[in-house]
Amino acid sequence: MRSGHFIESYDKLVNLTDNPVKMAWSWILVLVLALAPLVLDSFWTSICATVLITAIGIIGLNLLVGTTGQISLGHSGFLAVGAYATAILTMDYQVPGIIAILLSGFIAAFFGLIVGIPSLRLKGLYLAITTMAFAIIINHVILNAEDITRGSEGFIIDPLQVFGFSFESDASIYYLSLIILVLTVLGALNLMRSHIGRAWVGIRDHDIAAKVMGINLTTYKLLAFMVSAFFAGIAGSILAFQLQYINVDNFSLLLGIEALSMIIVGGLGSISGSIVGVIFIIFLNELVRITTGIFADDGGTMSLYIHEMKGLLYGVVIVLFLRFEPDGIMGKWRDIKNYWSNWPFHH
Amino acid sequence: MSSLLQVDAISKRFGGVQAVSNVSFDVGQNEIYSLIGPNGAGKTTCFNLISGIFPLSEGRITFDGQDLGRVKTHQLAKLGIGRTFQNLAVFKHATVVQNILVGRHSHMETDLFSCLFFAPNARRHEKAHRHKVEEIIEFLEIEDIRMQPVGTLSYGLQKRVELGRALATEPKLLLLDEMVSGMNAEETEDIARFILDIKDELGISVLMVEHDMGIVMDISDRVCVLNFGEKIASGTPEEISKNTAVIEAYLGHSGGG
Ligand SMILES: Nc1ncnc2c1ncn2[C@@H]1O[C@H](COP(=O)(O)OP(=O)(O)O)[C@@H](O)[C@H]1O
Ligand SMILES: [Mg+2]
Repeated sequence: MRSGHFIESYDKLVNLTDNPVKMAWSWILVLVLALAPLVLDSFWTSICATVLITAIGIIGLNLLVGTTGQISLGHSGFLAVGAYATAILTMDYQVPGIIAILLSGFIAAFFGLIVGIPSLRLKGLYLAITTMAFAIIINHVILNAEDITRGSEGFIIDPLQVFGFSFESDASIYYLSLIILVLTVLGALNLMRSHIGRAWVGIRDHDIAAKVMGINLTTYKLLAFMVSAFFAGIAGSILAFQLQYINVDNFSLLLGIEALSMIIVGGLGSISGSIVGVIFIIFLNELVRITTGIFADDGGTMSLYIHEMKGLLYGVVIVLFLRFEPDGIMGKWRDIKNYWSNWPFHH
Repeated sequence: MSSLLQVDAISKRFGGVQAVSNVSFDVGQNEIYSLIGPNGAGKTTCFNLISGIFPLSEGRITFDGQDLGRVKTHQLAKLGIGRTFQNLAVFKHATVVQNILVGRHSHMETDLFSCLFFAPNARRHEKAHRHKVEEIIEFLEIEDIRMQPVGTLSYGLQKRVELGRALATEPKLLLLDEMVSGMNAEETEDIARFILDIKDELGISVLMVEHDMGIVMDISDRVCVLNFGEKIASGTPEEISKNTAVIEAYLGHSGGG
């Protein structure tokens, strides 16, 4: 009854991809990204850097929400923790920048652990509210702990220095973000091909069965929160170095909704989908900003509405995707690929 | 025959419902033991009590000489109890191989940082577990579907994957809750053959809940009958098929609705 599919080498199976075409495209993509700042002007380089930084945090969010099935509306909180940790460590304690980035990730992970504890008992809407409460609390702390956070005044951060090189230009921040994003993608892919990623998927798809298979739900849910918050914290840290000035407005609750819309658009549980979702939403944002700029003849008043418009836009995008394309753009892409690879024998 | 699992006067109440009351039985080494009874008799509840999903109201369960009273559900796989569920409980977005790999979880020791960097030890372990999974895939004759997401498979195949996942934990005792309900005759026969092989070739004891009397009478070494949460009979398949209390319980139920 052997079917001839016997596998001789497991090496191939545990590799990131056994498909050389996919491998080639990944390298080409990295190369294109590496060359992009040479042709882009400073404005677009800075927007692309924002895409890369956001993607780091969104991959983290997707590991938690898409892969493990634990909703979070509080990721703007972890982003804020990462950014403020970097600001405080580098400006008030003279910690070297590159160490501050890593420490910010770990500090955010610690907050992830605490925010994760309610997830051991709460699901769905209740967890959504709890995580959102965390983001609200963080905003209050930023505003009120003035001695530490500079309160509503905001925090000015010196550019990142590494071995005498100063990351001041948009291109330098772009490259820093690109390197960290590549590391993040590799780390996330590695987790996904190990028992940790499988445990997370198990918890999402059937938590009782996962338990019976020997998965300790407490450990793996908290781990998901910590890893997710770690990446968000790293993103926050680089964001601080990019902006060189942060205040509470950078971490509004709307950011948490925007982040969710990114993973829904890209594809829940998909790492490439996370990046696609970030690109989609950030460029949509730019489009809104540019078009409202055109219609705003009196200049000022229109920008007041941008915040409301964005909220509305995310809402509409989330509803449309959940209704028509629940697997996101990456799901659609898979369908199209399957269609053509089976063509003309599709059913 | 020394017993592997000892269920000693267990009871479970859900509010006003006495789901299981004062039930005792024991499963021996290398034995196929069936738990039967009409719907609502408390069979699944017995399984949930053994796997620690609900706490016992009363009684005691011992496995391999160890009291399961304080053992957590997620520790059972390591102790040697595997299980499938009455309703499909597969990880439907993951592939067949990934589902069965989850069954290897309790044998995996790679730490977070080795996984994050996919260090050499992570790769080595991963390959060893893949090997084990391929053995199970071959045993269950599901080579053709190994890379498919389980959610896209037929009901019968999903159940088979669930069986594979439970086998991957390398259990000493396997709890199977209504494996064959909803399967056609051919699929049922396959499962019966697998269960016999699991006992004879792999040396695993099987405790199964089953409605299909054909398979129960064919492959069980012993049978225990529950009705309204109480044990009404136990013995060999022949003894059970002649037992008047059992016949009455089944006729009474089918007559009533
Ligand atoms: N989680 C639960 N909460 C409340 N009642 C339950 C629960 N699980 C089972 N019961 C009740 O316990 C009784 C036995 O159910 P069950 O063990 O599923 O029966 P069987 O598997 O033999 O068909 C039924 O009356 C059922 O309604
Ligand atoms: Mg049942």
